[in-house]
Amino acid sequence: MTSGFGPNGRRILAVDDEPQILRALKLVLRSAGYEVVTAANSEEALDVAAVGPVDAAIVDLLLPDIDGIELAQRLREWTSMPIIVLSAVGEEEKKVRALRSGADDYVTKPFGPAELVARLEAALRRTSPEPEESRVVAGGLEVDLAEHLVWRDGEEIHLTPTEFELLRLFVRHRGRLLTHHALLTQVWGSEYADDVTVLRGQIANLRRKLENEAGPRRHYVRTEPGVGYRFDPK
Amino acid sequence: MLGIATSVLSAAAFNFFFLPPVGTFRIAATSDWVALGAFLVVAVATSSVSELARRRAVEAQNRRAEADLTAAMAQLLLARAGVEDALALIGRHLAVTLGLPWASISLGDMEGDPRRHVIALNSDHRRVGTLVVPAHLPADVLSRLRERVVPALSVVVQVALEREQLVAETVETEGLRRSEAIKTAVLRAVSHDLRSPVTAMVAAGAAVRAPEVTRVERDELGRLVVEEGTRLARLINDLLDLSKIEAETAAPRLAECSLEEVIDAALAAQPRDARFRVRIDPNLTLVGADFVQVERALANLLENATRYSDGEPVTIRARPVGDRAIIRVIDRGPGVSEAERERIFEPFYRSAGQAVDAHAGSGLGLAIAKGFVETNGGRIWVESNPGQGSTFVVELRVTGTTR
Repeated sequence: MTSGFGPNGRRILAVDDEPQILRALKLVLRSAGYEVVTAANSEEALDVAAVGPVDAAIVDLLLPDIDGIELAQRLREWTSMPIIVLSAVGEEEKKVRALRSGADDYVTKPFGPAELVARLEAALRRTSPEPEESRVVAGGLEVDLAEHLVWRDGEEIHLTPTEFELLRLFVRHRGRLLTHHALLTQVWGSEYADDVTVLRGQIANLRRKLENEAGPRRHYVRTEPGVGYRFDPK
Repeated sequence: MLGIATSVLSAAAFNFFFLPPVGTFRIAATSDWVALGAFLVVAVATSSVSELARRRAVEAQNRRAEADLTAAMAQLLLARAGVEDALALIGRHLAVTLGLPWASISLGDMEGDPRRHVIALNSDHRRVGTLVVPAHLPADVLSRLRERVVPALSVVVQVALEREQLVAETVETEGLRRSEAIKTAVLRAVSHDLRSPVTAMVAAGAAVRAPEVTRVERDELGRLVVEEGTRLARLINDLLDLSKIEAETAAPRLAECSLEEVIDAALAAQPRDARFRVRIDPNLTLVGADFVQVERALANLLENATRYSDGEPVTIRARPVGDRAIIRVIDRGPGVSEAERERIFEPFYRSAGQAVDAHAGSGLGLAIAKGFVETNGGRIWVESNPGQGSTFVVELRVTGTTR
């Protein structure tokens, strides 16, 4: 366990029973300016999180004592800090359960440092929102949130009010995983929380309008199977 | 008995109507006694012979019915996939032929009770099953069952059991042979495909620590470690997927999926410089499938097509045909010869003359695609002519729900 704060003042708890993975996580996060505290199992993680202030947790799904899903659940009982789970290919079901149990996002192993840091930063934005932007530019797309206007490569795109509301959520939470539930409750209201079919239809329309069919295919809205969508302009 | 009674009655009638004094049962002449005696003897003899003939005829009919029954039993048992199903049918057939209210045959040992009578089926001094019939059957029906039906039934049941065991053994041997072939292929892969990235990573990791390494060289070595590590991870995932498919533990989590989203996710997994043309019929409804498995199947097909299309864009088309969705992945590569159209879906199969270089896949992509499509109740095949490219076709069931 290390103490003190990194240059950007954020402290990240990394939980994994593999010392090599912890070593790699420490290296990656420190070079991105974070301070890192580590734990090799869930009990230790709960202790560390309770003792010192921690801004976010990165948790492996497979832990020797309590698994990552339950650890996320237990942490959620008293903290709202972002939780990112590390999952392997083939652990999709566990991943979905962890996300339903309160985890914010996931990173698939093996991960690149850029991907991990991007997910972490996107998740941290939730707890300390930046001042409201009225104009967002991302991947050739320009969105005026105040005026409800959208341009792709300088050309205006006409969206319906529902499509615009979805786009607003996406650009305000760039890079973050938005679950079906979150999108449905925020755009349609809590009575529509389970109506994934409606959401899917609107997302399909939004994609068709955003992604220029004539030019090279651009993926603005990525599907996260069984979970939701992510706005990730490349 | 009936024959003798009829004969006596006929003799009495003959005496009454024809022998003087007519109209009485008395006989006047001694010669008439002889005639009456002769009449009686002939009548008794005739009726006995005809009675015997009748009995023979019934018996012959029974034998024929029994022979037919035996043939039917043998046919049912040998034609049906499962012995138990066939036995149920034979029970009904037997009841109809013998005029019983019901009859059933079971493979185990069974106890009789006040309502059921059990007859053991033994063959080669071994109990092979039990014939169960209603209790209190007439003695002749029971003895007919015991003597004429049970021996044939016992033999037929034994043969069917032996046959079933043989079939099971053959299936098992076939499975073992297949998994043996896969094991050999996996071992071959382990010795080459797993070892070479590890060798590269260890060498690069050691080299990067040398003091005289320049910044450019360090970058190069770092990239090598990441590339080789990624390749290794990919191969491990493929091997895991394949072993799950082979062990039949890749149970799909079925849900309604939009093929548009599945195809989109499969496209997102491709390298950024790969080019695709996508055409999805707007009338396509949702499919009932495991999103992740179908996505992986399609991603593997896209990757395979890209590898052989030499920079030309790969076309993906999806459209509904009846209650099916048809997805076509079309490349302009060298194509697949007829002889290879089945074999390319085998794990680690490489077409003749295909070099194993760093850009080659794991050799498992198509096997995994086939496995995942089939676990989701779909079909996959390739249409191709050498020199004219290949089209991989995936067929999945649609649920009919619109997007």
